[in-house]
Amino acid sequence: MPMNVDYLVKETARNLRRNLTLTLASVLTVAVSLSLLGVALLLQKGVNNATDRWENGVEFIIWVQPDISENQKNLLQTDLDNSTGISSYRYVSQEEALKEFNEDYFPDNPEITQLVTADVIPSSYRVIPAQLNAEAIEIIASGFEAKPGVKKVVRATDEISKIETATDVIRWVVLGAGIILLATGLLLILNTIRMAMFARRREIEVMKLVGATNWFILIPFMLEGTFHGIIGAALGTASVYGANRAFEEWLSSDNVLNILQSFAVGSGEVWEIGILLLGIGALVGSVGSAIAAYRFLDV
Amino acid sequence: MIKLEDVTKVYKGEVLALRDASCDIQRGEFVFLVGQSGSGKSTFLRLLNKEEEPDSGRIYVAGKEIGSLSKWRVPRMRRQIGSIFQDFKLLPNKTVTQNVAFALEVIGTPKHIIRDQVPAILELVGLHEKTHRFPHELSGGEQQRVSIARAFVNRPLILLADEPTGNLDPGTSVEIMRLLERINETGTTVVMATHDRGIVDTMRRRVIELNNGEIVRDQARGVYE
Repeated sequence: MPMNVDYLVKETARNLRRNLTLTLASVLTVAVSLSLLGVALLLQKGVNNATDRWENGVEFIIWVQPDISENQKNLLQTDLDNSTGISSYRYVSQEEALKEFNEDYFPDNPEITQLVTADVIPSSYRVIPAQLNAEAIEIIASGFEAKPGVKKVVRATDEISKIETATDVIRWVVLGAGIILLATGLLLILNTIRMAMFARRREIEVMKLVGATNWFILIPFMLEGTFHGIIGAALGTASVYGANRAFEEWLSSDNVLNILQSFAVGSGEVWEIGILLLGIGALVGSVGSAIAAYRFLDV
Repeated sequence: MIKLEDVTKVYKGEVLALRDASCDIQRGEFVFLVGQSGSGKSTFLRLLNKEEEPDSGRIYVAGKEIGSLSKWRVPRMRRQIGSIFQDFKLLPNKTVTQNVAFALEVIGTPKHIIRDQVPAILELVGLHEKTHRFPHELSGGEQQRVSIARAFVNRPLILLADEPTGNLDPGTSVEIMRLLERINETGTTVVMATHDRGIVDTMRRRVIELNNGEIVRDQARGVYE
């Protein structure tokens, strides 16, 4: 079907100008909804990254009583050596723990580090199990809980699952809000296109009369809707990118716990989300305008 | 060129617009459709254009049965049919030239052909001095000429006219009829619905009279009643 690009660009641009307020409403709704979707995806990736990192590293930590006797310590070490479920472990002495504490948490605050001395922080065993299987780890970890001289066994999964539960709730709320807003965006685009077609019903009537094909009539309107979707998605992507940058910035500041570093999302992953959002935006725009056009034209 | 076989059209299940209408119109004929308002003249024309679908019967346009035509083929069929109306249906924000060119643009006619054909057709309808006027700057007769130019610019086989002189004074109507006659002389089949007794009686062409959706008279070189 011959259709010149001039005509398409001219028509689409004219429609966009004509309905500026409605166009803005659609674009912004799509933008907000897609940023929410993007943030939900970002959270998901962050949690995945954190889980991955923990899974590759230490799975549980055995904190030892400060007043543990040499005898008890030796027994504990023998148990660790003999346990077949453990691939390796590392003893972190009170001095090492203090050093770690100072360097990781308060490198710029000597006042605080002076208050904390080695005898306040317990020594510990960082254990890497042979199998990265939650149940197997649980059996081994709980085995050490009752041993003499053990203060507490902290499993990585405990910590991660706490964070996971918290982010899960946030993620679902954000995702739900995003989807509802996206549906609103679709309806707004649909309505904008319907208004645009209604405003030009005389031209459409003449076009049909003289034998313009349905595609010829539809394409400028569908391009308009797709444009709304893509611009909205671009704004959404930009704000997701901005949110991630702000999070990274906050992570690299001094007063953030080390554990949160593992939630960082790489810029490659952010771009993946961005491309997905652009795709969703274009889809919502073209589907919305196609429905409007289809119903209006009765093709 | 146009053939109806037992065509019936009922609107919304009760209003009968056309009942068992059959007729055969040859290439190059000039046919008047007469009858009171609501007798089915407009429905007759709209069926030929496939703006309406018959409830039963068959309709042939340019040798093709249009009932079985798929929807995406309808636009191509309409390019063989020009239509003009009582209210002209011109686009108010376009000039005379743009209104006519629009009809060619939207069916994908190349620009150089549009540039050639639009001035030629405007010359034919006698509007070559008003090409840059807008419709509201023209008289009713001039507006109808623009709409005729638009309908005829891509040389359709058939011209459908729904009361083209309904809004015009008698003198202007005569001019429009001369123009339609000239178009008919080029071989274009013209079907015109009208209430204008004077025109029908003067021109003495084939007359098909409709009454309550039925063809009650089909007369060569006929008069209004």
